[in-house]
Amino acid sequence: MIRLSDVRKVYHTRSGDNVVLDGVGFSLAMGERLGVLGRNGAGKSTMVRLISGAERPTAGRVERYMSVSWPLAFGGAFQPTLSGIDNIRFISRIYAQDFQRNLAFVAEFSELGRYLHEPVRNYSSGMRARLAFAISMIIEFDCFLIDEIGAVGDARFHDRCNHELFGKRGDRAMVLISHDPGYLRDHCNRFALLHGGRLALFDDFDEAYDRFREAIGLVAAPSIDAAAAVDRAALIEVAQHRALGDERFRLLVREGDWRRDARDWAAAEERYAAALALHPYQRSYWVQLAHVAKERGAFARAEAAYRTACALGEPAADVVEHLRFVVAQGGADPAAWPIHPYRKGAAGTQVSGRPDVEALAWLLWPGAGIDDAEATDLLRRHGDGDRLAAAMIADPRFAAAAEVAPAAGVDGEILRVLAFAHRTPADGAAAVAQLPPDAPAWPVAAAAGAFRDWPHVQQALTP
Amino acid sequence: MTAAQAPVPVRPPPPRLRDSLRVQGRVLVALLLREMLTRYGRHNIGFLWLFVEPMLFTLGVAALWTAAKAYHGSNLPIVAFALTGYSSVLLWRNMPGRCIGALWSNLSLLYHRNIRVLDIYVARVLLEFGGATMSFAGLSVLFIVLGMIDPPKNILEVVGGWLLIAWFGGALAITLGALSHQSELVDKLWHPASYLIFPLSGSAFLVDALPAAAQKYVLYIPMVHGTEIVREGYFGSRVHAHYDLGYILPFCLVLTFVALFTTQWVARRVVPE
Repeated sequence: MIRLSDVRKVYHTRSGDNVVLDGVGFSLAMGERLGVLGRNGAGKSTMVRLISGAERPTAGRVERYMSVSWPLAFGGAFQPTLSGIDNIRFISRIYAQDFQRNLAFVAEFSELGRYLHEPVRNYSSGMRARLAFAISMIIEFDCFLIDEIGAVGDARFHDRCNHELFGKRGDRAMVLISHDPGYLRDHCNRFALLHGGRLALFDDFDEAYDRFREAIGLVAAPSIDAAAAVDRAALIEVAQHRALGDERFRLLVREGDWRRDARDWAAAEERYAAALALHPYQRSYWVQLAHVAKERGAFARAEAAYRTACALGEPAADVVEHLRFVVAQGGADPAAWPIHPYRKGAAGTQVSGRPDVEALAWLLWPGAGIDDAEATDLLRRHGDGDRLAAAMIADPRFAAAAEVAPAAGVDGEILRVLAFAHRTPADGAAAVAQLPPDAPAWPVAAAAGAFRDWPHVQQALTP
Repeated sequence: MTAAQAPVPVRPPPPRLRDSLRVQGRVLVALLLREMLTRYGRHNIGFLWLFVEPMLFTLGVAALWTAAKAYHGSNLPIVAFALTGYSSVLLWRNMPGRCIGALWSNLSLLYHRNIRVLDIYVARVLLEFGGATMSFAGLSVLFIVLGMIDPPKNILEVVGGWLLIAWFGGALAITLGALSHQSELVDKLWHPASYLIFPLSGSAFLVDALPAAAQKYVLYIPMVHGTEIVREGYFGSRVHAHYDLGYILPFCLVLTFVALFTTQWVARRVVPE
């Protein structure tokens, strides 16, 4: 049994006191596995360190009536300048364990072979993780603390870890932290949400997870630095980092992955689409969206998504087979509509994806809306943004641009890198901000010099 | 045992002293061996460096002082004078040197609950003590065998003085080590301080050779007492030693409490990486 009562932890920093835990209390008995959910920086690792005894609470009590491990898979518990064997020897001495038996186990489990004679600092991160986990398993604790075990290593290693932990040691108490709530759902029987320094306990995963979603939803979007993305190519590049750094995005795509694994294609697609609405230029999840759309039989939408992924830089070779399949399923000849592969250069010369089509349509075809077939057709026909926009201007629907106010909801940043690519980021953002919300936007944009360096657009605009 | 069978936690009986001591010993041995391995490795002469290094220091200083015919205010052989004096310096000076910043490089050890902050310092103090002692003893035997100096008149008194310096050095080392975790000023100031104290520490002079007015002040410096005792043990009536156990013993005792207190204070605040 472990009991935390009214535990408080405050770190003194230069910018004042940082209250990480504020009145946390729970108890954990043998056989109970507590999965702790929480945002990055919510204090999950701090709580684990307090339970392990490596750190002491500012106030409150941590009582241990059973032996508690150090945080598992934690690579720092050994000395990098020593060899793997010397580290095993040290741990064996500290815990009065039989070194030869431990060495045999670690060598067998970690499969490090002769590397065990090398200093740990020469190991790759995967090798370190294998050694750390194997060393953690040589001492039979009553309670295991597991802080992000899934971060490194391959699938086979994870399976073996899971077998050691939840198979052989399923009767022990555990506290688990993971960036992947699915891992906690599959292995825990109690759940907790750490938020704002407080710990809420749940017996049911879904209930805990709903609260976790709320907590993440309350997070403001990470502030975006427009100067980081001077043009469309740069925006595509930073989108990958921004998306993965955004907890809302990660939450949505993770849910999409679960639904996909459960073969609930409609729900999966809905999650992926919601995630991509936050970060439209994140390419890899366009591929996932395309896959689930394909499974649902929405071939036009799948094709648009595959083309978008390629336009944003996903290697065409990884996508081409799928694309040919959905084109054929849609009743067209795959050979007639090849992939337009990603291209470097100015925005007008780059291949468009669905987010670009949506932004262009907002400006050029206000009120018309773009369906899957229309979007797919535009992406098929036009190898760059300039020609695509010119084709839209040549279309009768462009007539509305001078008269109809556009609907709400355009990605201003995409509009900026397309229409105002010739301006500096700050200038372009100002031009986008000046577009009227309730009056025709195109005349204002045209007056601001939209698409100045796009020759086909300029030609199409010439009467 | 499952949750259903044991709903009420039973606090285990407090560990017996013998078991606690066994754990303590185990941890210190493990830390000592680990420290030796990380510091000296298995290359060339390995952990022999532990005492070869201070030996080289002492030999070098002895050679320098001999060559310079350093004045030390007595008719003692200069080699014997350098041996007793410089070995004592190494003893009290190396311990703090090793303990300052020791916690930063060993933070990850604190994940093992049996290892306390104090253990990390004690292990380093013991290692330095071992190295300096082996160096002192080894060189003494060497010089005696070579006939360069006479055997100590009173070995027990040498040991007593030596332990007194070690006690002072160890307590000082743990205090400074703990403080250095909170403020890097300690590291910055210790180096100049140790160099400045060195000539005043009694290693390069006999208190008896100083003017009476200076003797009074020099005896406020704690290392002087231990060094004087070691010399008295070594040379017997050939020197007139000045020391005051009534000063140095309470001094070390108080410093020990300060060391334990600061260590406790740091342990409460330390954040493992």
